[in-house]
Amino acid sequence: MSLQTPVAVSGIGCLCGAGSNLGACLDTLFHGRRQPAPPARFSSSHPTAYPVFEIPPEVSLFGTGQKPQLSRTARLVLTATREALGNSGWDRQWPHNKRIGVCIGTTVGSTMNDEGFYRKYRRGDQPCINPIETYLNSNPAQAIAREFDLSGPCQTVVNACSSGTDAIGLGAGWIRSGICDAVIAGGADELCRVTYDGFISLMITDDSPCKPFDATRKGLNLGEGAAILILESQATLRARNHPARAFVRGYGSACDAYHLTAPDPQGQGLRRAIAEALATSGQTPAAVAFVNAHGTGTRDNDRIESRVLSALLPDVPFFSTKGCTGHTLAAAGAIEAAFTVAFLEAQKIPPSAGFTDPDPDLPASPAKRTIGVSGQIAFSQSLAFGGNNAVIVFGKGDT
Amino acid sequence: MRIALRGVGVVGGFGCGVDDLRRTLIAGRCSPQTASVAGTEGAGEMPVFLADTSRLAAFIPNRALRRVDHFSRLAALGACLALEDARLPPTVRQALGLVIATGYGATRTTFSFLDTVLDHGDACASPTFFSNSVSNAAAAHVSILLKITGPSLTVSQFEMSVPAALLTACQWLEEKRVEGVLVGGVDEYCAVLGYSWQRFFGPGPTTGTRPLEWGRQSAIAGEGAAFFLLCRDEGDPPDYGFITDIRQGHLRHGGLDLAADALLLLGADGHQACARRYARHLPADARVATYTPLYGSLPVGPAFDMAVAALSIKAGRIFAPPPGAGENPGLKIVPRHARLDATPIRCLKFGREGEYAMVTLSGRGSI
Repeated sequence: MSLQTPVAVSGIGCLCGAGSNLGACLDTLFHGRRQPAPPARFSSSHPTAYPVFEIPPEVSLFGTGQKPQLSRTARLVLTATREALGNSGWDRQWPHNKRIGVCIGTTVGSTMNDEGFYRKYRRGDQPCINPIETYLNSNPAQAIAREFDLSGPCQTVVNACSSGTDAIGLGAGWIRSGICDAVIAGGADELCRVTYDGFISLMITDDSPCKPFDATRKGLNLGEGAAILILESQATLRARNHPARAFVRGYGSACDAYHLTAPDPQGQGLRRAIAEALATSGQTPAAVAFVNAHGTGTRDNDRIESRVLSALLPDVPFFSTKGCTGHTLAAAGAIEAAFTVAFLEAQKIPPSAGFTDPDPDLPASPAKRTIGVSGQIAFSQSLAFGGNNAVIVFGKGDT
Repeated sequence: MRIALRGVGVVGGFGCGVDDLRRTLIAGRCSPQTASVAGTEGAGEMPVFLADTSRLAAFIPNRALRRVDHFSRLAALGACLALEDARLPPTVRQALGLVIATGYGATRTTFSFLDTVLDHGDACASPTFFSNSVSNAAAAHVSILLKITGPSLTVSQFEMSVPAALLTACQWLEEKRVEGVLVGGVDEYCAVLGYSWQRFFGPGPTTGTRPLEWGRQSAIAGEGAAFFLLCRDEGDPPDYGFITDIRQGHLRHGGLDLAADALLLLGADGHQACARRYARHLPADARVATYTPLYGSLPVGPAFDMAVAALSIKAGRIFAPPPGAGENPGLKIVPRHARLDATPIRCLKFGREGEYAMVTLSGRGSI
């Protein structure tokens, strides 16, 4: 691993249960507002109504009513892309001589599991294949490339809950290696009954609003959303005299190779990912202003994160934003990356919503209230099914 | 770019391992099996190239495979075969990265999970099926079974999945994140795919795939895995040559920039909608070959194309295209027993929307 050239973040778009754009999300986070509720978009026969963080139906998603062939996940990612491009100053038109890539994380958005179609298929009703066509039309990276007329590398990362973080790390690499001038990178996932049932079946879902890192935490709440970062080379940004909101300074990832759904008890993969992220950023732990932790609210995840952060980045404040967003799966890393950039700009971090009572089993606890931070860099980290661990390092921008 | 290709592991309708693939290439034929499918006129059958994973037991104890589904077994077998082919000591595996490409993922398990919900209600959803249906479950199983602790990635981009995965694998090597990358493509057949296939394309062909007859829909579904061990260009020259270029693009931004006499291994697999793009964009004097009649049509087909290119470089000759892939009077199809000169082999694949990818493999003498 070697020191990485910083890659600029020129624009951000984000929507989730905390808000329909980045500004609204930040307002929710700093005020600690959260209103998870039983799912409204699908029904469930579970005896318990597990709360989720849905995007309200009044939020206008990209292409609603005009592009029926797109899935909700594709609409979410296109909505975030529209906001990010506007924020970056590019709007919809890229110069034709620019090589623009797309790298997007998802889980639901790349899974062929339409329940209505399959129900009819099982009954022998010979269902029409419109849902399959929607699935084929809705690969998130491809949907962005199609909608914004891009022809650079196009990659949908399906690394479960670290997908969004990995997509940003990989996209930054494309710019560093000269494959692209700019990359639209991020993640998106919609709520659906399959993931709702699946996470409940794993017995890691809280039947009340989630409480990351709290002594009484019982699990996660699911959420949905998307976030996009516009990544650009510094040369491209200079040429159009646009400021960088932040820089991608480093990226690390590693696999536990331990268990399909449980993290390594010693956090070995996370330790290696953090070490690589630090090494590639050329910084020391002393430069880290804060860590936006994965912080799902499950017993295992929060224990491992707390132990590893306490050992590798002692005294660095950390927090989880999932108390206000829910766990948005593959979108989580991208949404949290967007938040991390915004917190670096604001030089403050929000309270960890849902956290009140420190867990005596955890060596470190998250921020309880809004606090000011200093330091040149910040971490956003994701842990995932399959033992994936990914850490992205952001540095302060020009603004 | 100059990435050494040090091992190949394949499993598909033709058999298991590079020796089976080489034998099939030399024989020039492979017969699909039949799979039952719920068609538009009741239950029926369609031809499919199905893969057998029983040889995985030679690498992994059965006990460790108890909860590993067919999709992940395909991936694990492809990975084991590639490592065996590369003669890589187990101690080096910790320094590897893993990249898996898939078009549709673990479809059988995904629908098995839905079965548990539809049969017994939401509260009876199977946690085992759910966790194995997650997109990166195969990568997780491979990492655990083979103790690979480097970066792990799964990508899903339909027909472009394999070139996308290769791009990342090569990037990791050039960034010196890892000493080697195990990269591969895997896709499985399932009954729901078969039903959808018939609805999209009608019943399978009765005379085998004719991939170069552009006006004809003749694709036969396939499943399998093809894996590669990639390393930086260090040490002994690799038998399978080097990846020297990976290009991705879209035809709406212009055609392919290809030498008039390029040697092209086409990913044409009998789908009429994609075939017209090959017809329109191939240089007039290009020498072409395609081998999809030997392993069928599957999103990660480009991984099998690349395996054939790698075997060609190792053998120093181009394998004769199989019957059915040797007929198009407008094309210069590579002749039987053609010696491979210094020309690189370009594996070209067009996607359904006009996107394309080209992976170039070069032998030692061609750089």
